[in-house]
Amino acid sequence: MLEAGLCSYVMISYGQSGRSGDSMMQVLAALSGDDVVYGHFGAAGGYALAARRAMHEFRTGPKTWKQIAVGQRKWANLNPRAMMCGRAMTGEDYDRSPLVVEPFRLADNCLVTDGGRACIVTTLERARDLRHPPVVLMGLGMHHPSADLAGARYLAGPTGARRAGATALRMAGITLDDVDACEIYDCFTYTVEITLQDYGFFGPGEGEDWFRGGTIEPGGRMPVNTSGGQLSESYQMGLTPLTEGVMQLMGRCGERQLGPATGNRTPEIILCSDNGGILQSHACYILGRG
Amino acid sequence: MTYGKPLPKIYADAREFREGCLEHELRIQKCGGCGHLRWPPAFLCPRCLSRDTQWVRASGRGTVYSYAVYHVAFDEAFKGDLPYVVALVALEEGPHLLTNLVECDPGAVSCDMAVEVVWDDVTESVSLPRFRPAAG
Repeated sequence: MLEAGLCSYVMISYGQSGRSGDSMMQVLAALSGDDVVYGHFGAAGGYALAARRAMHEFRTGPKTWKQIAVGQRKWANLNPRAMMCGRAMTGEDYDRSPLVVEPFRLADNCLVTDGGRACIVTTLERARDLRHPPVVLMGLGMHHPSADLAGARYLAGPTGARRAGATALRMAGITLDDVDACEIYDCFTYTVEITLQDYGFFGPGEGEDWFRGGTIEPGGRMPVNTSGGQLSESYQMGLTPLTEGVMQLMGRCGERQLGPATGNRTPEIILCSDNGGILQSHACYILGRG
Repeated sequence: MTYGKPLPKIYADAREFREGCLEHELRIQKCGGCGHLRWPPAFLCPRCLSRDTQWVRASGRGTVYSYAVYHVAFDEAFKGDLPYVVALVALEEGPHLLTNLVECDPGAVSCDMAVEVVWDDVTESVSLPRFRPAAG
C-alpha cells in the first residue's frame, strides 16, 4: 500500500491493561473454549503440553529453559523500562521458582503487563528524511500449520517457524550467519528454544549446549531478546520483538544498545519472530539497517 | 451437591458428541467425502471441504501424545483437584482429544502410554470423557 502510494504512513500498535484489568484473562479464556471443562486454561497449559512432548522427543527441559530465562533477565537489567529491571535471576532462583503448569515454572512464563507500543512504517525515501535512521524490512515469511491444538501434531517441531524462517531468509537473501541478533516471541521459554531450533540455529536437542556459556546474553555470540523480552520486559504481543528490533537497529536502546558497550557487534541485521495460538501460526521477519 | 466447575457450551457441531457422551459412547466425525476422521467437530472437512459429515463411534483407546500437570488453579473450582493432569490423547482412530488423565499418579504419566476412556457423569445432562491408564 505504501509503495503503491495508497497511503503514506501505517502505524502498527498494541496496548493493553492486562495487569491492572482483566483484558488478558478474557483473551486467554476465549483461547481455551470448552477445554476449560477439563481445567485447561489459557496459554500456559497449551505450551506446557508442547514442551512436555518436546522433552519426550529430544533432549530438552528445565536445564535448557533456565538459560533462556536467566539470559533474558540480564538484558532486562539493562533496560529501565523492563518490569523485571532491578530483579536479578540466578540459576538457583529459576530452580526455586514455583511450578505453575508442569513442566513450566513461573520463571518460564511471560509477564502480564500494562503498556503499549507503536511502530510507524513508511517508504524508505520518506524515512531517510526523518530524525532516526531508517530500518528496512528485508524479508518476511509466515506459516500456519494447524487451526487448533488438537490438530497440532508438531508440538515438538518442526513448527511453522521452519518454513516461515526459510522463506524470510530467502527473501532477504541472507543466511543465519548474517544475523547479528534475534528478537523472538517468547510467551514461554520453550517457545524461544523451538523457534531458534526450527530456524536452524541448532539441531533438535542441541539447545542446552547452544545456550550454554551465555550465548544469548549481553556479550554473547547471538544476543536474543535484548529488552528482556516478554519474559522479563513486557508482554506486548508481537510488538515486543518488533519494537526492540527496530530500536536496536536505530541505535536507540541506551545501556542495552548492542555494540561495544555490551560486547556485541553493532547490529546490521536482526531476525524477529511472532507466534500465535499454541504454535498454530508463525511469522518470521528480518530487519536491516536502511 | 451442585457441580461447581465450568460446563461445555452447547453448540450444533458438537451435539452428536455430547449426546454420545451421555450414552458413554465416544463419537467423532467422519467425512463422507474422503473418509477423514476428525476432531474437533466442524461442519465441513478440513481436508477436502466436503460437508457430508457422518459420526462414528471411537473405541475409547489411545495413547498420551502429551500431558501437563497443573499446580495452580486458574479457576477456584479446580483447587481441590491439584495437582491434576490435562492430556492430549491420540485416539487409536487418529484424532487428538484434550482431556484429563485420572486414576493415576501425575508422576507416573508418560508420553505414549496407553490409556482408555472412563466416563464421568458430572451432571444429569453432561458426561465428560476422561482417560486412565489402560488395563493390562
